Amino acid sequence: MSRILNIFWVFILGIAASAAFADAAAKATQLEGEFKLGPAIILIIMLCTFVIVGLLNRAKDTSTYWAAARKISPVGAGMAIASNWMSAASFLGMAAIMYGSGYHGLSYVVGWTGGYVLLLVLMAGQIRRYGKYTASDFIGDRYYSRGLRGVGAAVAIFISFSYCVGQFAGIGLMFKWILGINYTWSIIIGASVVLSYTLISGMLGVTKNMQIQYVIIIVSFMLPLFILMHKFGYFIIPQLGYGHLVSDIVDGLDKVKGVTAMGHNFAILPSPEFAMPWDPSTGMSSFQWIAICFSLMIGTAGLPHVIQRFYVVPNANDARWSVVWGLFFICLLYWSAPIYSAFGKVLSASPEVGVLAKDAIVVYTAQLGNVFPLIVGLLAAGAVSAAFSTVAGLLVAGASAFSHDLYYKTINPAASERTQMLIARVCTILMAAAVALVALMNLGLIAQLVAVAFSLAGCTIFPLFLLGIWWGGSNRAGAWAGLLAGIGVSLVALIYFVVGKFGGTLPAQAFVNYYLNAWYFAWFGAPLAIIVNIVVSTATGKDTPEKIKEFLYHTVHGNE
Amino acid sequence: MGGTHSHEVSFFKPTSEHGKANKKLIIALVIIWIVCVFGFQALLILFAKPTPEANLISFETAWSGAAQSGATETVQKTLARTFLAVLGKNIAISADHKKVLKESLSATVLSLVPADQKAPFQETLAQNPSLAVTTAIQVIGLSGTGFDKIMANLLPSSLVPVASEEISAENKTALPAIMKLYCTHNQCGLTTMRFLGFPFHYWYTAQFLLILFVGLCLIYAIMIGRINRKFKFIEE
Repeated sequence: MSRILNIFWVFILGIAASAAFADAAAKATQLEGEFKLGPAIILIIMLCTFVIVGLLNRAKDTSTYWAAARKISPVGAGMAIASNWMSAASFLGMAAIMYGSGYHGLSYVVGWTGGYVLLLVLMAGQIRRYGKYTASDFIGDRYYSRGLRGVGAAVAIFISFSYCVGQFAGIGLMFKWILGINYTWSIIIGASVVLSYTLISGMLGVTKNMQIQYVIIIVSFMLPLFILMHKFGYFIIPQLGYGHLVSDIVDGLDKVKGVTAMGHNFAILPSPEFAMPWDPSTGMSSFQWIAICFSLMIGTAGLPHVIQRFYVVPNANDARWSVVWGLFFICLLYWSAPIYSAFGKVLSASPEVGVLAKDAIVVYTAQLGNVFPLIVGLLAAGAVSAAFSTVAGLLVAGASAFSHDLYYKTINPAASERTQMLIARVCTILMAAAVALVALMNLGLIAQLVAVAFSLAGCTIFPLFLLGIWWGGSNRAGAWAGLLAGIGVSLVALIYFVVGKFGGTLPAQAFVNYYLNAWYFAWFGAPLAIIVNIVVSTATGKDTPEKIKEFLYHTVHGNE
Repeated sequence: MGGTHSHEVSFFKPTSEHGKANKKLIIALVIIWIVCVFGFQALLILFAKPTPEANLISFETAWSGAAQSGATETVQKTLARTFLAVLGKNIAISADHKKVLKESLSATVLSLVPADQKAPFQETLAQNPSLAVTTAIQVIGLSGTGFDKIMANLLPSSLVPVASEEISAENKTALPAIMKLYCTHNQCGLTTMRFLGFPFHYWYTAQFLLILFVGLCLIYAIMIGRINRKFKFIEE
């Protein structure tokens, strides 16, 4: 731990030293297009820190690679959960949705935090007591089926894949902003760096890096907010003071409270659409609010890379407390994200600011608020850090699902440790390359792209875990039927989405786009998968092997 | 769900005292969770009604007045202000709707310009609309303070070349719906009440629910620890 602290201080000193480049860094006030030296230095120092930490904690074998040797404390694991969780979607995407769609965006804030309650009370301790390494390991074992393990692994890979797409989009935007290079190159460079780091370090490095990354993420996110609150005359503690800012937006603000970086007054005409529920101008309905919120919550409890975090704590009690700490650390950021959208709304109220990329509104807000350029740079580096920490975890989850569950458990049980490790690494490279390609297509806002992964997880993995843990009667046939129902709903939603995106039309396109939208189809898919699982399990009889029932009964639920 | 076999696991039919206590705790927390999250949104759905902004009421009064007895100067000034008030929402407005609003605003301003100045004003609008701002401020009657000042600052990017002082028939058809779309908001006591400076519903969703989630997790972690000790439940 002390080694990590030393590295963190080196990082801070490096940033302080880069203040020497303050003149050049002043270019950071350009909204776009120019190479920004100060932010670039901060980013490079940050990336070097991550690689050094990764090197110091590199994986020695597959057990280390997958489960970090179970040496992490609940607070440390909580920080890792938070860092793993707080991705580009949290750092950039939530503010973007609220900036564009007001109250509708709060469904993401609530959905991405409320799911932890379900995860904790229904699963965390039990998953740890079950004692498997990956989500598909659990599925294959609980439902005594190599086929289900294989399909579960494939689904886990696809979930990690779609989750990664949004992250790469965030990395691309921030590299573009900092380096002044085009989006394509910024994604290629960002993907290469995060890939190298993951390959070198494995999960142990990732976990330790995550603790450092959490501190960087939260400090970089909060610091500009304190400055903005002070600068524009609100109570300095952002989470307590921004209520008046929201009310100023709703009622209009005509008192001069300051000037933006572009010389406009910090003022706005009455704009209740920012805060009122499912405002007609946003085009979003109350049904969509609830569907997104529910889908994200259910998805949270089914995401393989989130579930996998419980394997890196020593026992079930630590698993539970790591969730409590993790959620608290997550909420520190989630309490703050709406503040960026609120300031962004006022600071970009003048049409002369032009049309800003919503997904970069966090950084633009700090710039327009005339925050010192190096602090804006730190903010952008924090966004990259948020995306990196999540991508690293996702690549490990995806690679381990392939090499451990698909290759070792399903295809070649005789594979050596060395071969498994090699397969995991090759898979990581292929996955990163494929994600980068899809990220280049610009299919949606970051938060929306990430929401797809949640709905997928909610329709497929969540029902298998929920019933697998809490009902001994759920059998292989029920699991297959439920999983296929979930996959079916997912396929319909995604096919309609992709066809619509490329200008095509299918029967009942408008109906499906509204009720089974790619961002929230789990509101229907998850309950359907659960019902199908229960019905088919009941209809096909109780054929769950006795040893699995005993294991559930004694080990997972601790009955005598 | 569940069965009678000694090794059957069912959430709803726990076989041990520890399991029963755990079930009660989980059900209590999940009910609180559901009611607080979705119950509150249901209240908003139930009580929040589409409510017009003052700006929409001004627009509708002026619009119907113009239709019935012709557009007086006062009516035209009111319309220009209402268009500006919507354009001030900036990022909330779609590009198509902005175009309609800008054209309608510019036509209305042109109609307010004295007859002998209309031609030069129209020429200025065609060549460099930002030079027409001073005249527009005067004819609309915008003062240099408060919301008027914000509206005045919107003019350079809101005035566009127009062929006539009449709002086009196409824009006339579109305007009422556009104004209604951007100036109607779902409101009720929960949204107008203020708490810590926030509209109450916003604070509840953006802050309280998150506090509640952390609280529920904390309570569960503490309570399950107590239940485990009470029933001598050894986890590992």
